[in-house]
Amino acid sequence: MKTKKHGPTAALLSVLLPGAGQIYNRQWIKGIFLLALGMVSTGYFLTVLPKAIRGIVTLGDVPSRLVEADGKTVSIPGDHSINLMIQGLIVLFLFALYVLFYANVIRDAYRTGRDRDSGRVPADFRHTLIYIHDFKFPQAMLVVPAAGILFLTILPIVFMILLAFTNYSSPHHIPPGNLVDWTGLDSFAQLFRLKSWSGTFFGVLGWTVLWAFVATATTFGCGLIVALVLSQKEIVLKGVWRTLIIIPYAIPQMISLLAMKMMFNGQFGPINQYLSHFGLGRLPWLTDPYWAKFTVIVVNVWIGMPLSFLLVSGVLSSISAELYEAARVEGAGRWQQARLVTLPFIFFALGPVLIIQLAGNFNNFNVIYLLTNGGPTNPNYQFAGHTDLLITWLYKLTLNNNIYNIASAIGIILFIIIAGLSIWNYRQTRSFKEEEMAQ
Amino acid sequence: MNQSKAVRGMSRLSIFILALSLFVAAACSNDADGPGTVESGASGQSKFDLKFEKLDTELTPEPGASLLIWESKEARPFVEAIMKEFTELYGVEVNMQELGTMDQIGKFELDGPAGLAADVITTSQDHLGKAASAGLILPNDEFEEATRSEHEDVAVVSASYNNRLYGYPIKVMTYAMFYNKDLIGEPPSTIEEVVEFASTFNDPDNNKYAFMFDAPFFYFSYPFIGSAGGYIFGNNGTDPADIGLNNDGAVKGMEVFAGLRKEILPISAGDIASDIKTTLFSEGSVAMNVTGSWFIDTFRQAGVNFGVAPVPAIGGHDSVTLSQVNSWYVSAYSKYPNAAKLFARFASNKSAQLLNYELTGAIPTHMEAARNPIIQDDEIASAFYKQFSASHPAPSIPEVTSIWVPMDAAMVEIWDGKDAKQVLDRAVQQIRDAIALNARQADRPTAEPDSSKAPF
Repeated sequence: MKTKKHGPTAALLSVLLPGAGQIYNRQWIKGIFLLALGMVSTGYFLTVLPKAIRGIVTLGDVPSRLVEADGKTVSIPGDHSINLMIQGLIVLFLFALYVLFYANVIRDAYRTGRDRDSGRVPADFRHTLIYIHDFKFPQAMLVVPAAGILFLTILPIVFMILLAFTNYSSPHHIPPGNLVDWTGLDSFAQLFRLKSWSGTFFGVLGWTVLWAFVATATTFGCGLIVALVLSQKEIVLKGVWRTLIIIPYAIPQMISLLAMKMMFNGQFGPINQYLSHFGLGRLPWLTDPYWAKFTVIVVNVWIGMPLSFLLVSGVLSSISAELYEAARVEGAGRWQQARLVTLPFIFFALGPVLIIQLAGNFNNFNVIYLLTNGGPTNPNYQFAGHTDLLITWLYKLTLNNNIYNIASAIGIILFIIIAGLSIWNYRQTRSFKEEEMAQ
Repeated sequence: MNQSKAVRGMSRLSIFILALSLFVAAACSNDADGPGTVESGASGQSKFDLKFEKLDTELTPEPGASLLIWESKEARPFVEAIMKEFTELYGVEVNMQELGTMDQIGKFELDGPAGLAADVITTSQDHLGKAASAGLILPNDEFEEATRSEHEDVAVVSASYNNRLYGYPIKVMTYAMFYNKDLIGEPPSTIEEVVEFASTFNDPDNNKYAFMFDAPFFYFSYPFIGSAGGYIFGNNGTDPADIGLNNDGAVKGMEVFAGLRKEILPISAGDIASDIKTTLFSEGSVAMNVTGSWFIDTFRQAGVNFGVAPVPAIGGHDSVTLSQVNSWYVSAYSKYPNAAKLFARFASNKSAQLLNYELTGAIPTHMEAARNPIIQDDEIASAFYKQFSASHPAPSIPEVTSIWVPMDAAMVEIWDGKDAKQVLDRAVQQIRDAIALNARQADRPTAEPDSSKAPF
């Protein structure tokens, strides 16, 4: 029976020509619209896709070069590997969207055809619009931000990941006068196999991990202690204390860190001048590898403590007084109240925040870069000093030395570490587990 | 307001330092009308007999050409004046965009191919190799002969890469020794004399030092390497395989360098901060200060009664500093290369350089301009010029980017007491590693680079 076959026929027509199935289903406007879109896209991809794929596979054949003509030198433009890569990526992303669109057109034609088979009349264009407005409004609204995320966030990330598999680095592989080539896992191999690089990498990685944990623990611990102390009834002038504690948070980090750098100067800094004034020796705050690490952690406490203090204070004010009263009735002392009521509450509420802070400290660029700039120098490291974190090392490699491929490889590793650690950590927190239970 | 919060409770010194750094920043921004400039050209009157006329060439600007120039803030008065002259003569509209000379190549790398960058850029040779090998700039072909014959050799070498002239030299930059005339009458000519003076002058408890320089920075410590026979790259800075940073001369010079910590400047390397040095010299606590010509205005405005002399001789050899030459470079992406070449030439010839000296204090690369009696009589400019004549130009090959970090680290270590020879050997090995790593794949040895055999 002919009437039973609308679904497959419409789908087949749409496979051959997007929109044809819709026209066959008598959805004229929608069909013509999709047909036009399909034709334009097909024409577009027929012309650019081969070029884009070729560009991204070869990354160009001829670099731009200078040629003498009539005694004058002119620049003949050639292939710009990095631009080819970006353009190729854009086309491939668009193509993926087109494939998605195509699949949906076919599915739509099939479904409408099937509906016709079962005797329903296909929706006309006005009804389609009404349907979108009434039932698919959120999805329709999300198209613009989704496209933004796809092209402004995901595409650059893919681009940066791809850089790790090329030789894009100064001085000999900087376009447009040179070509960049795919080198597979060479950057990673260099990072792990060449002793001078792997020594730096593991040294810096070790300090980064240590820094992240110690910095998070110290800032949070100090914030917690101060908040607990300030929440006691006996404290007067609470507002004044709170304001004083918040001040470091209100100063732009750059200014306070540069001021700190001066204060900790071993010869001219006021701290050492006070120490020597009282007959104590001067300390190599920023010039000795161990003291420098100590100094950055102390300064980080000063900078990061106010935020932890604010968060803990917020949680404290949300703990019901009845809980404490109940605890008192049960005969709990102050210490027990803190241990059994306050702390569990705080860690439950702030567990995820702590993980974010830990991840943030892995990439705590400001404190290191402005306070020590990675120093004191470590002669055994490649482009890094004793207090450099992976992120500041990465910055030096990219911006000062243009070794983009190695920097990208480090970035990928850093991402894997942070993402892995954060996910694992987050799954360990009680808030996550209880959420699971609640579901 | 936040700044005032930041400094609350800090000692007077740091307040002073902070204030001074703000002051320096402010001072840098109004070089144009500061008292440091010689007879501002605002009145239109110049001390020099300046003549601006069309260049003697068959090159003509493209019809409808307009140019965009990148130059640093300090150079604005000069660039604006010369732009006006150029537009009057050639009818080409010129615009200037402020961009620090150190940042230009980085921005140019991205903006050039995209067609957004300037037609003429300014930079020193540190970035030339990169720009030339990446094909970003056009060689100076039309005016090559004239440029070679009119400018100092050092300037021409600095503006060339791979034996090809690219730049149109504008001015020279190096450092020399500023001395406070109220503290020391006659500038010492050897390091031994400095040591002698230091023994009577130094008083670390009151932060008084005879002689300060940026010991942890290789750029400023270079005299100790270069004076006694060390060098960065051989063959006039073009052969990356020949590194002269750990030869006998360099090691001897570095031993003198290490000795200074005990005798002249008992401060660990990490604590020698440039801004503190500037403060101390400005307030008269430091008698001699090795730094760049770009500090002239700062010290004038601080009211220091200073003179400038060459860096004292080291180990019996006249001191050799590192120098840079700022040059115009024509973009390979310029839509109007002829107009751009004309401008670059026009803005670097004799009259332009004299005008630049007059408006911004720039020290000319043009030999006739440099020999002008007015400049010769300028005690400070001529002292810098003298130091420049005895300087090694910083290499322009791209490999030079690999030397700074290891050598800065080496300066710190040697200053803080490690064996000079050992430290330099290791630094050179690191530089070789970095160069090998970044070498073109074709040049790279098929087996693993020697880096795995490095002693660390």
